[in-house]
Amino acid sequence: MNFAITLHDITKSYDGFTAVDAFSLQVQRGTVFGLLGPNGAGKTTLIKILTTLMRPTLGDAFVEGHSVLTAGKEVRRVIGVVPQENNLDRYLTARENLALHARLHGMRPAAYNPRIDQLLEMTGLAGRQHDFPDTFSGGMQRRLVVARALVHEPRVLFLDEPTTGLDPQSRRSLWDHIRGLRRTMTVFLTTHYMDEADALCDRIMIMDHGTCLADGTAAQLKDAFSRAHTYQVEFRNDADRYQEVLAGLPFVKGVERDGSLFQITLADEESIKPLMDHLSGSDIRRICLKEPTLEDVFISLTGEKVRE
Amino acid sequence: MFKGAFSIWGRDMRVMRRSIVSELVSVIAYPLTLYLAFGFGLKGYITDVNGVPYPLFIAPGLISMTAVNAAFDESSWSMWFHRKVQRTIEEYRVTPVTVYDIVIGKIFSGFSQGAVKGTVVFLVILALTPFRIDYTHLPVYLLCIALSSMTFSCLGTICGTVIDKPENIGRVQSVVIVPLIFMAGIFFPLSSYPSSILPLIQLLPTTAVFEGARDALLTGAIPSQYLVNLLLTAAACFTIAVYTFNRKMAE
Ligand SMILES: Nc1ncnc2c1ncn2[C@@H]1O[C@H](COP(=O)(O)OP(=O)(O)OP(=O)(O)O)[C@@H](O)[C@H]1O
Ligand SMILES: [Mg+2]
Repeated sequence: MNFAITLHDITKSYDGFTAVDAFSLQVQRGTVFGLLGPNGAGKTTLIKILTTLMRPTLGDAFVEGHSVLTAGKEVRRVIGVVPQENNLDRYLTARENLALHARLHGMRPAAYNPRIDQLLEMTGLAGRQHDFPDTFSGGMQRRLVVARALVHEPRVLFLDEPTTGLDPQSRRSLWDHIRGLRRTMTVFLTTHYMDEADALCDRIMIMDHGTCLADGTAAQLKDAFSRAHTYQVEFRNDADRYQEVLAGLPFVKGVERDGSLFQITLADEESIKPLMDHLSGSDIRRICLKEPTLEDVFISLTGEKVRE
Repeated sequence: MFKGAFSIWGRDMRVMRRSIVSELVSVIAYPLTLYLAFGFGLKGYITDVNGVPYPLFIAPGLISMTAVNAAFDESSWSMWFHRKVQRTIEEYRVTPVTVYDIVIGKIFSGFSQGAVKGTVVFLVILALTPFRIDYTHLPVYLLCIALSSMTFSCLGTICGTVIDKPENIGRVQSVVIVPLIFMAGIFFPLSSYPSSILPLIQLLPTTAVFEGARDALLTGAIPSQYLVNLLLTAAACFTIAVYTFNRKMAE
């Protein structure tokens, strides 16, 4: 069996409200899987089910072959978890936080002390290991939570929005850690940052309202949505006249204007030719195809409205 | 078996060791004030109760009260804090320990707080009283305090598990715990109650806690009625605490 994580029709309802709806998924061992979705999409709910903090209303899920319903303890033995909100023990020092975690995993001091030294070094916290976490910056606390999740060398690592609230340097250094883990373990992460998903994930799934909307590598997702055919055209002159012309063309689906710069969305690939027939080459300063970003894919799938 | 409970208890003891010295002043202040105010303030009015000098009459109850209050406080607030504020319970729950490890570790932490703080107050009162107790009575007395602390630690765990709003824990303390403690005759003999309600009062677990403690310290034996009450209450509270926590975590 080559899957680290398998979900079979997982459903989770909170008093009638369905947060996750018949969700199925298989994650290849040794890959980084990214789950994207707007606030309230159901990402944290899925992670809580997979980490045995919550029981699904229906369905079953397997982590390294162990059922979250019937073999929770075996699941917890092989997972590391970085929750959405830091849950460090503020009455224990950084090092003690890691040591308690190791003991809860049944490790002995001879095994966990060298491992903790190594992780503190890796996360740059060695100099502050005897300080209490509430004297740490947000980024340092986050790194400590990540280090804690790695103490017992898990086979599957769950990261719920690992870099939210971090500065660009800390984000990048955390990305480097995560990239370093690839292949030695399976990483399941959620994020709101498209660049993060793009940079880290072997496979991306976009979800909303508890269901999957799109699934593939970053390139595949962008490809599938390049059907949107958006061109950027910058006019030298006559911009106002062209705005009217464009508005009257049947194959132009949308026009956004910013001064003399237009963003024109066409109905299909063939429409570029008739479009050019209506524009005079001498009036155009620049024209280019706009590559869709992951963010465009995300917005087009999940809508532009802010969730209440 | 229960290695996880031991680790969690070890964590709590480490944290207690760090703060106990600074906490001691407030731990001692309350029972000592009561002891001085009632024991000496009323000495001129109440010389003895059934032949026991009044300060000695109230001393065992004050020690037990410190122990059970400390056990309840620690268990309720710590459970609430780790569950709702720090969310460390969630961190424990993604490791291979079971919910039984967690709740049992927490119950024993409350119990240990009660034991340590009760002992300190015992030593302080001992240093201040002119009376000397019979040290052969000590083991029975300690048994009584241990069972009582266990019961109150479990009660605290139940409150910290089911109550989400902190002000409600304070309410349970002032509406349930404090009256139960004061009704149980720390400061007056139970014979002061009208004979019609006395049997009910004698059934209260807190009566077993305080009367049992006094009898244990003064006579070296716990009346069997109280011992059975203490054992049953402790067992029942333990079962309910474990069950409640288990249920809450399965939500
Ligand atoms: N304990 C709960 N009781 C009731 N509803 C809940 C509970 N937890 C989550 N929900 C609801 O379930 C839905 C999914 O929540 P979830 O936390 O999984 O979203 P998310 O994708 O992690 O969002 P975010 O990006 O904001 O973290 C939301 O609509 C939320 O209101
Ligand atoms: Mg979330």
